[in-house]
Amino acid sequence: MDPTIQINEMVDVVPIFRAHASELNICMPAKMRYHGQDIEFTRLGMRHPTQKGKRMIHVFEMGDENGNDYRLEFDAERLTWTLVSMIGGIS
Amino acid sequence: MKPNHEKPMIMFIDLNSAFATAEQQAHPSLRGKPMGVTNRISKECCVIAASYEAKGIGIKVGMRLSEAKAICPDFIILETDAPKYNRVYEKLVRIMKSYSPKTWMKSIDEGVIDFHGMEPVLNGRTLQDIGYEIKQRVKDEIGDWMRINVGIAPNIFLAKQAASWHKPDGLDTIDHTNLRKYYEEMELTDLSGIADRNEARLNSYGIMTPLQFLDADEYTLKKQVFRSITGTYWFKRLRGYEIDDYETHLGMVGRQWVLRDPTHDDVKLRSYLAFLCETTGMKVRFRGVEARGICVWANYRNGESFYAKRMYKTGIYTNQDIYRRATEMFNQRRLGADIQTMGIYCYGIEPSKRSQLSMFEDISKIDDITKAVDEINEFYGAFTVFMGTTLEGKKTIKQKIPFGGTQYFELLLKRA
Repeated sequence: MDPTIQINEMVDVVPIFRAHASELNICMPAKMRYHGQDIEFTRLGMRHPTQKGKRMIHVFEMGDENGNDYRLEFDAERLTWTLVSMIGGIS
Repeated sequence: MKPNHEKPMIMFIDLNSAFATAEQQAHPSLRGKPMGVTNRISKECCVIAASYEAKGIGIKVGMRLSEAKAICPDFIILETDAPKYNRVYEKLVRIMKSYSPKTWMKSIDEGVIDFHGMEPVLNGRTLQDIGYEIKQRVKDEIGDWMRINVGIAPNIFLAKQAASWHKPDGLDTIDHTNLRKYYEEMELTDLSGIADRNEARLNSYGIMTPLQFLDADEYTLKKQVFRSITGTYWFKRLRGYEIDDYETHLGMVGRQWVLRDPTHDDVKLRSYLAFLCETTGMKVRFRGVEARGICVWANYRNGESFYAKRMYKTGIYTNQDIYRRATEMFNQRRLGADIQTMGIYCYGIEPSKRSQLSMFEDISKIDDITKAVDEINEFYGAFTVFMGTTLEGKKTIKQKIPFGGTQYFELLLKRA
């Protein structure tokens, strides 16, 4: 049914900010450490802003080379990264 | 009357399976798979958007999840994500507006660009060239999985028809040169605005195909088939003359809710009603209007229904006022029967007169409290402060994606 696994945990993230890139690719997380495991992102599905009250949140929908999708939220006020959910690679 | 020979200058953009495609864009692992989107996942929830892969195997929008699973046990369903769709919508609007100031959205996934008067800035390029460029920009600026259909025609109706001619990812033009050929390929219900009832109406006068519809004279359509000016509108619309470029006015504001577990529990039902009243009140104030009338309705599990409406002398805009009046009407329902769907809407909409000073202090106090609560909810997110009665409803009812209009998106995005 819904393959989404809810996680909602703060994670360590290495982001990349590109000075000369399209709006789509100007900023994205490159790597994340979750439960001691390093996960490298190979593609950006979508980035979109949202709000929690007046707090600006940037949502990054990322994918890795194993076909897993991750939803990461960057809180622009508190400067935190949260792994909100993931979808395990569906064959 | 001959078909409109004017050069086609209207472009209709239709985002293919908008919500499902946006989810596939965001989740690469879902691409190429039968999947869909619903407002709240439950066994009997409805598929409100289906991917092309799902549509290809017979899963239709509006189908229950259980039916979709019967067709495809691997069918994937996700809950709607309003901010994601809003982003796609915003970017699409930005792309469209870069071609003409006369651009407007018909719904969250459909928009119109009017190129009349824009010839000098097209630099000799045809609308077909522009259409292909927009398709590419959608992929570059929104995402490589996003696909749009483009229709070009002399009026909005034909441009919309052209946009649905070859789905997905099509680009078609309809003008006087291929108008009859297009209608030859279609059935009556393929025409936007012709559903079962209008089809039956046309059939009863011997009009069985779009071509026969086109060939029918204005008198027959106006005086016999539609028995109103609608017949004349169809007569012109089918020939490519513009009659759909008017602005619609806000007629009603409301909210409805399909109960996952139908119940006659008065406490729960009152809480759901309170929630619906609060969201309706928020919408009313968001639009800067007030309402003179309220309607409350409910459908029971046994097929019966309840309906009550009333007009008032003064305008209504606070949540408490809407709830108090809605409750008076809701109390008239038949008790003991399980309610399956319930809703409320405000009508008799008029511009808000709240800025006028009131002679009565208590009215001014209510106004001040409402403003203060709205400001708190604006700052901290919707439903930070709400009526106590709403508590149960807030836990149960999910804010849903509005279909058709896009005017409440900003309001919907203010989550707590």
